[in-house]
Amino acid sequence: MGMIAAKEVPPALSGEEARQDCLARANVYRLLAGALVEEPGADYLRALRVPENLAMLRELGVTFDADFAEPAPEILQEALACEYTALFVAPGGCPAVESARLTGRFQQEPLYAVRAFYRRAGFALRPGRFAVFDDQLGVELSFVAELLERAAAALADNDLPGYARLDKDIKRFWALHLGRWVRGYSRLLERAAAHSFYREIAKLLRGFAAHELDLLGVRVEDAGGDDPLKTEIPDPVDATEPGCGGCKVAQAHV
Amino acid sequence: MLKMTRRAFLKVGSGLTAAAVAAPKLLGAMENDLGGKDFSPETLAERKVIPITCHVCNIQDGALAFVENDRIVKLEGNPEHVSTRGRLCAKGNAGMWHSYDPDRILYPLKRAGARGEGKWKRITWDEALEEIAQKLNAAIKEDPNTIMLKWGRNRSGGALPRFMHTLGSGTIVNHTSVCESSKKIGMEPTWGPDIETPDFANAKYILNFGSNILEAAYFHNPMSQRITEGLAENNAKLVTFDVRLSNSAGRSDEWIPVFPGTDGAVALAMGQVILREDLHDAEFIETWTNVSVAELKQHYQQFTPEWAAKLSGVPVDTIERIAREFATTKPATLFTYRGPAKHLYGSYNEKACMMLPIITGNIEKRGGYCLPRGMGWPQPQPEPPKPGKPSYLSNPPDYPLAGHKVSHLTPFWIAEGKQKINVYFTYQDNPVYTNPGAQAVWGKLFRDEKLIPFYVSMSPVMGEETALADIILPDCPYLERWEPESMPNSLWPWLGIRQPVIKPLGESRENRMILRDIVWKLDPTGSRGMKQYWQFKDGEDYMRHHFDNIPKLKQDGGLEWLKKHGVWPVYGKLDARTGKITDKTGREIQAEYGLHLKELPAADLAGTAVDKNGVVSKNGKVVGIKRQGKIRVGFPTHNRLINVRVDEWAKYGFNPMPTFKQIPWHKTMAEDDLILTTYKINVHKQSRTASVKWLAEIMHTNPVWMNTETGRALGIKTGDLVRIESGVGHMVTKAYVFEGIHPKVVAIPTAFGHWEYGRLAQLKQREQPGGAWGASADADLDNNVWWDDKGVHPNAIIPVVADPIGGSQGWYDTVVKVTKAGPNDKYGDVQASWEKHAEAFKETLRYAYTGDLHRTMHPEMAAGGGPASVKPKTGGGH
Repeated sequence: MGMIAAKEVPPALSGEEARQDCLARANVYRLLAGALVEEPGADYLRALRVPENLAMLRELGVTFDADFAEPAPEILQEALACEYTALFVAPGGCPAVESARLTGRFQQEPLYAVRAFYRRAGFALRPGRFAVFDDQLGVELSFVAELLERAAAALADNDLPGYARLDKDIKRFWALHLGRWVRGYSRLLERAAAHSFYREIAKLLRGFAAHELDLLGVRVEDAGGDDPLKTEIPDPVDATEPGCGGCKVAQAHV
Repeated sequence: MLKMTRRAFLKVGSGLTAAAVAAPKLLGAMENDLGGKDFSPETLAERKVIPITCHVCNIQDGALAFVENDRIVKLEGNPEHVSTRGRLCAKGNAGMWHSYDPDRILYPLKRAGARGEGKWKRITWDEALEEIAQKLNAAIKEDPNTIMLKWGRNRSGGALPRFMHTLGSGTIVNHTSVCESSKKIGMEPTWGPDIETPDFANAKYILNFGSNILEAAYFHNPMSQRITEGLAENNAKLVTFDVRLSNSAGRSDEWIPVFPGTDGAVALAMGQVILREDLHDAEFIETWTNVSVAELKQHYQQFTPEWAAKLSGVPVDTIERIAREFATTKPATLFTYRGPAKHLYGSYNEKACMMLPIITGNIEKRGGYCLPRGMGWPQPQPEPPKPGKPSYLSNPPDYPLAGHKVSHLTPFWIAEGKQKINVYFTYQDNPVYTNPGAQAVWGKLFRDEKLIPFYVSMSPVMGEETALADIILPDCPYLERWEPESMPNSLWPWLGIRQPVIKPLGESRENRMILRDIVWKLDPTGSRGMKQYWQFKDGEDYMRHHFDNIPKLKQDGGLEWLKKHGVWPVYGKLDARTGKITDKTGREIQAEYGLHLKELPAADLAGTAVDKNGVVSKNGKVVGIKRQGKIRVGFPTHNRLINVRVDEWAKYGFNPMPTFKQIPWHKTMAEDDLILTTYKINVHKQSRTASVKWLAEIMHTNPVWMNTETGRALGIKTGDLVRIESGVGHMVTKAYVFEGIHPKVVAIPTAFGHWEYGRLAQLKQREQPGGAWGASADADLDNNVWWDDKGVHPNAIIPVVADPIGGSQGWYDTVVKVTKAGPNDKYGDVQASWEKHAEAFKETLRYAYTGDLHRTMHPEMAAGGGPASVKPKTGGGH
């Protein structure tokens, strides 16, 4: 199954091609953000289920099952609302939030760093249907989409210094934020998702992230790593050995 | 050349202590010197400090939250707080975890599958409130009492009852019967308040019945400080009666193991010794109680040490010796917590224990047994009227004296149709875990959509009870909300505040805002007369209604003072060296004693009348008592005296005098039967700490304690799997065998074995490879959860028992058989059935004053008219 090849590096683009590239990439960011920032809306799903769009995604290696393609729109929307809640909202899921992923807690340093990044770039977060953290994945992806659209506009105006600044911001954002967690998180999401929609979105996210990092020339380690997920690595501690006063025996008192 | 042998070194080291002590000490603990400040170790910038009142448990310690870059980074004690004096326990130190918990509920959720299936859909607040309003409107139309609210912990300052009264419902149930209701009922009719404030720091003798005050209980932080001062500075002797060697027992001068439920017998026998040897305070008894010394001596004759020894296992000479020591060492004080109270007839036990400081006149003395000092606050006006129609669940007619309700019998009453429920609200209450029967009783109740058609949980976490809800409204943890606070946990009364350190995360809302929004949805225009009781902008505005209406506080700055200091008044400055609050002279502040002796001001005496007993009334209200020629405040009872004889109890055929009743099924125990008790530990609450990593690291499992002799007899050693079988179910857990527990007792701490409450409480991250369940890439949660044993929770196999007087659950009465686990038994097995619990419910009703065993248990009251002679009581409430 073909996926976006991580090592593929497109040749240098002309101004117009670069502008089109920015807009196309922005659309992919928005596509992903639309699935992740909140429960997918009716318009979003309708657009996605257009046969031509599904075919294009299949070329990328993104293939939804019948649970996405076949149900009536309102049934699909309801099913995805429940899946969204199970994955990202209710306890038991894996919140798509940088602070939670990197620190195990909500609203930690990543949130404030990301907020400051947005502010410097002239953005502030507005609530959608629900309030959302600044470091929520859909918001972070939307931010890059905004920067790319501005970059495209800069290119259209032949504002090369402006474009360069925006390109640098995108690289920095990947280096400081997205690059540190999205790849590992998308692997987790792919395994956790019960509905093919989120499974495939996770696949797309992972592949696109790798592609973007290559394209941008950003080298950053994902906290989840490209290696097998940390919890699959055998625990180096032998749990049968006695330790710290005997957890295995009884820990009656401090 | 020096001969630095170890022997010589030790000799010099110990011999020169005086010189060592005299040497100047220039280094002090930074926390003490900083006294309310903190600095970032990275940037050295001073962190912002916001004073609050802790609410991880219910001790309500004064605390400071330190904020750096908008994050709560540290919690410490508030040095300005007269009660806790800058100290904060482990639970309080870890409080920010509640706010930042990755498993926290941040949005309203609606059930999408069957109850308990775990399928949810996120909905907006509007959608949630709309649906709730529809259900409430239908319920109000049918009968407002079909709307029920049960709370576990209510620190809303009056908002929860206000909500229910706004709806017109009287079906308000608390949790107190699984807490300490029989302690309250043992005390309240006796001297007024429901708890004591022992002056431990100044006592020379401390008797502790059944409390682990150095670790848990009310109020372990401030009280453990004072006990330590009493022991270290006053050379006080601490004697603990307990079934097990708790941390408090371990730090006592004497730990005296006592058979469960017999503390009252021991206390009565001690009283008998004191009275027969004329070691009592005759003047106090004659002046301040409603009995005479002669009456008391006559009554106590029956409670011989031999009688008590047979029941309790405490030797006769120990009873006599401790009695004499207590009576002759001045000042002396006493404390009880749950050991005596959580039994069938726990109220009698509690009363028997509190008789000891009464008989010896140690009441309201320095170093003695003092009245609690607290502060109240006014309610925003107007207030909704109380509902006219009582609810069976709030005022169960079989328990007319249980002024704090009998909440743990609620499922059975609902199942019997005693009160129909249409809408059930739960707030900070997890009976599916915390109550007897647990998932077998409350879990079954909440899954039954006929009995509970609509169930709303106001909670920030997915506890066992919330997992069964239809709609979850995300409440805020304590660091994000406003609440007024006061607790009688020191000899100086104080008012405190809880204020948001950070804004509520996600879309969570503090509880009073949730309640307000529901009311506004029901009555948007105010035409139904509901909205008028909820006219406030936000939580801070609500606080202003409370605090700006307290005159002296208002002079000092009202709410603004509390926002700045966290507590009012500030009695002095914390001496970093001594840890005590000092006045301007540098001396420790002194408490006021003898509150009952205060004379009424002359201006208040106009229009008063004094009856033949000295009771002083004005405008039909009792205001004081005439004693020793002066009109004094007395005790806050109906006659301003200490009521050794509680006449109201006699109306229902209970013994009005101090007495003891042996638990009948303890009389008929088989030789190999044991009694199962439970206990709390210092680093966990029942539920709220289950998901806190720092605390789970300290303790995360709960083997059953048993005595070495018991283990030997059963062939069980530490670490073995054992099966514990009660009359309602069984469980399989691990054993911990040691000497520090009564040979007839097994004990299991609660707070473990959760099956909800997030990843840590359930160790879910180990269930699926790749950590799919809420995994993070945080090393702490990913790799540093080294344990794989979350413990086993015992409550499902503990049957309901209700003290027919105080209503308490008999937590420590359960007879069990303990054996080695069988071949089919697995660690963590817990099985219990609703049917068996329902039988236990019927059995406990037999001891109610309306039951067939009541008179059997009270032959001394045979002359009474029985239940038919009693006029129905509308019931009290708390």
